[in-house]
Amino acid sequence: MTENQTRRNKLHWLTSFRHGPTLALLAIIALFALLDWQFGSGRFFSPRNARVIVNSAALIAVPALGMTMIIIAGGIDLSAGTALTLSGTALAIAFRDYTIPADQAGAATWIAAALALGLGVGILCGLINGLIISLTEMVPFIVTLGTMTIFLGLGQVIADESTVYPESGHLPDWLRYLCYTGSNSDHYWLGFLHIPSSALIAIVLGLLVAAVMHFTVFGRNVVAIGSNASTARLCGIRVGWTTALVYALAGVFVAVGALLYFANVKNGNPSDGTGKELEIIAAVVLGGGSLSGGRGSVLGTIIGALIIKTISSGCTMLSIPNTYTHIIIGVIIIIAVLIDGLRNGAPKWLFDRLR
Amino acid sequence: MKRFPVSFASLLVIALIVAGCKSSSDNSSASNADNASDGKQLRIAVIPKGTSHEFWRSVHFGAEKAAQEIGNVEIVWRGPVEESDTGSQIEVVKDMITMGVDGIALAPNQKGGLVDAVEESIGEGIPVVIFDSGLDEGPEIVSYVATDNFKGGQMAGDAMAKAIGEKGNVILLRYLAGSESTEQRENGYLDALKKYPDITVVSSDQYAGGNATSAKEKVDQLLQLHGETLSGIFAVCEPNANGTLEAIKNAGMAGKIKFIAFDPSDALIQAMKDGHCHGIVLQDPVQMGYQSVITLVDSLNGKSAEAFQSTGEYLATPENMDEEKYQKLLQPETL
Repeated sequence: MTENQTRRNKLHWLTSFRHGPTLALLAIIALFALLDWQFGSGRFFSPRNARVIVNSAALIAVPALGMTMIIIAGGIDLSAGTALTLSGTALAIAFRDYTIPADQAGAATWIAAALALGLGVGILCGLINGLIISLTEMVPFIVTLGTMTIFLGLGQVIADESTVYPESGHLPDWLRYLCYTGSNSDHYWLGFLHIPSSALIAIVLGLLVAAVMHFTVFGRNVVAIGSNASTARLCGIRVGWTTALVYALAGVFVAVGALLYFANVKNGNPSDGTGKELEIIAAVVLGGGSLSGGRGSVLGTIIGALIIKTISSGCTMLSIPNTYTHIIIGVIIIIAVLIDGLRNGAPKWLFDRLR
Repeated sequence: MKRFPVSFASLLVIALIVAGCKSSSDNSSASNADNASDGKQLRIAVIPKGTSHEFWRSVHFGAEKAAQEIGNVEIVWRGPVEESDTGSQIEVVKDMITMGVDGIALAPNQKGGLVDAVEESIGEGIPVVIFDSGLDEGPEIVSYVATDNFKGGQMAGDAMAKAIGEKGNVILLRYLAGSESTEQRENGYLDALKKYPDITVVSSDQYAGGNATSAKEKVDQLLQLHGETLSGIFAVCEPNANGTLEAIKNAGMAGKIKFIAFDPSDALIQAMKDGHCHGIVLQDPVQMGYQSVITLVDSLNGKSAEAFQSTGEYLATPENMDEEKYQKLLQPETL
């Protein structure tokens, strides 16, 4: 313990990385604003672009909130992407076959039923993951690798291996404009403040998760399980039960993420989800989440999602080709994890030498 | 818990940026309109379905050609990497609106998914031309510039009838459900074949999927089923046709089964030389990019355009494929 303490003191400057993700985001915004002002259109640092970025970040951040809980609990969910599009496809089918035009009387009931269906599918996906993991005690990575393709397959079965287009007249206006980023005040929830509804949802859910993690016994238990499952068990925490609950809860966020995805693209395509899980996990990791469990923060995750989308938007503004955008994001993820390691005394050889 | 204040403060900053948007974003759309009229350099965004396919590089070539001819026009070329990635394409459209381009030419990935993005663009005062593939009804676009795919399908049907001597069993191999352009071709093909009473369509409900591998598998199965009595196959797009060609060759039926394709590829051109392919319906991607940009600039200068502009469709056969006109369409210039 004391050895650890001196190590910390020697590398005192590293503690400033505690606010790493936030500082990184500000630095990235400043960098792109400067470059864009010099070489680009000068529109990067504009309110409109902020709206576009927070909207696309919300699409990642919402499912990433669930992923944050899972990762804090020491797990991982590779099926988040395909579970999201499975739920989105179910929504699309509901809005194609089982609803009536939104302006007709009684439409609200059908719409509520459709939303409940989407939510149910998401929760069910999470619950399946959680039950398999806690009952069989298999590694979450493998279990969710399996369910990832299962959910993809299920999605393709219900969608008949194609894309599901809902009846556009059946969509209520509030749903249509969830991801609206234009300048018409009528399409925002807060007419005086142009924040995309998707971002508002992400903020509210983020506050909820933060509250749960900080102030409830459940939240504390999740952290305990992620730090050391055996110790947690010895302390009398019902590890299996809590794990299953974490995955089921994450399913809620996947389902809300699916709603946003559906509102954004206005159709359901089950194969859209492949690859999304990596973006979601990247947001958590960029935000300081540790894949070995026990650590992660809600605000960090939201900032992680903002970092990813800020980079991709900035690259577009500067006409940097897509391919380089992918490389830049990859490099930044690795640097973020490296810095995170430095905070915690890794790599060992470097710290041994400094001592 | 200590972490909270700094992160929270930065989120506040971001929120403030977003909050300040109302007034200034209105300014920016107003300045768009100014740019269009005062003869400054125009910036036109051209957004393809994806960036990895040869076809789109020919569209890019055409767009740049138009830009050079008009002068004072800059082409901003940007698209999603994957053609199935609707979410990314919506993001690209929104980014282009943010950049304040003067006009957008878009080949929508999905007819329904892009409607709201296009509406947003028009709402910000940026006119939109749709090319290659249709968009659902709704937004007031300047024009739709594309191949008349229904007519292209009919040409394929007539070519098929000619190749098999107007009688026999034929197959229509579909692409993906929900893809507007290929559905038009499929319908056109079936429509043309109605004229020939001795031709029977033995299979028209099979979807080959998005790549050559899945198409080959499908055709392998179809040949098992109908191979003995089959006279011809029509494949509605390039990946489809490449897979079909492989399957026909594998079954040892190349040349015996008449094969009509839509869109060229090196393998198909070679097959036509070898007598394994009996016709390729061609589009003109260079013209598509060219026409889209011209139409956009015209509309910025106050000229209106036809609601639909066809860029032409052509039939290459083993007889005419060496003519210069068809060579150019078989191997269009790219950028």
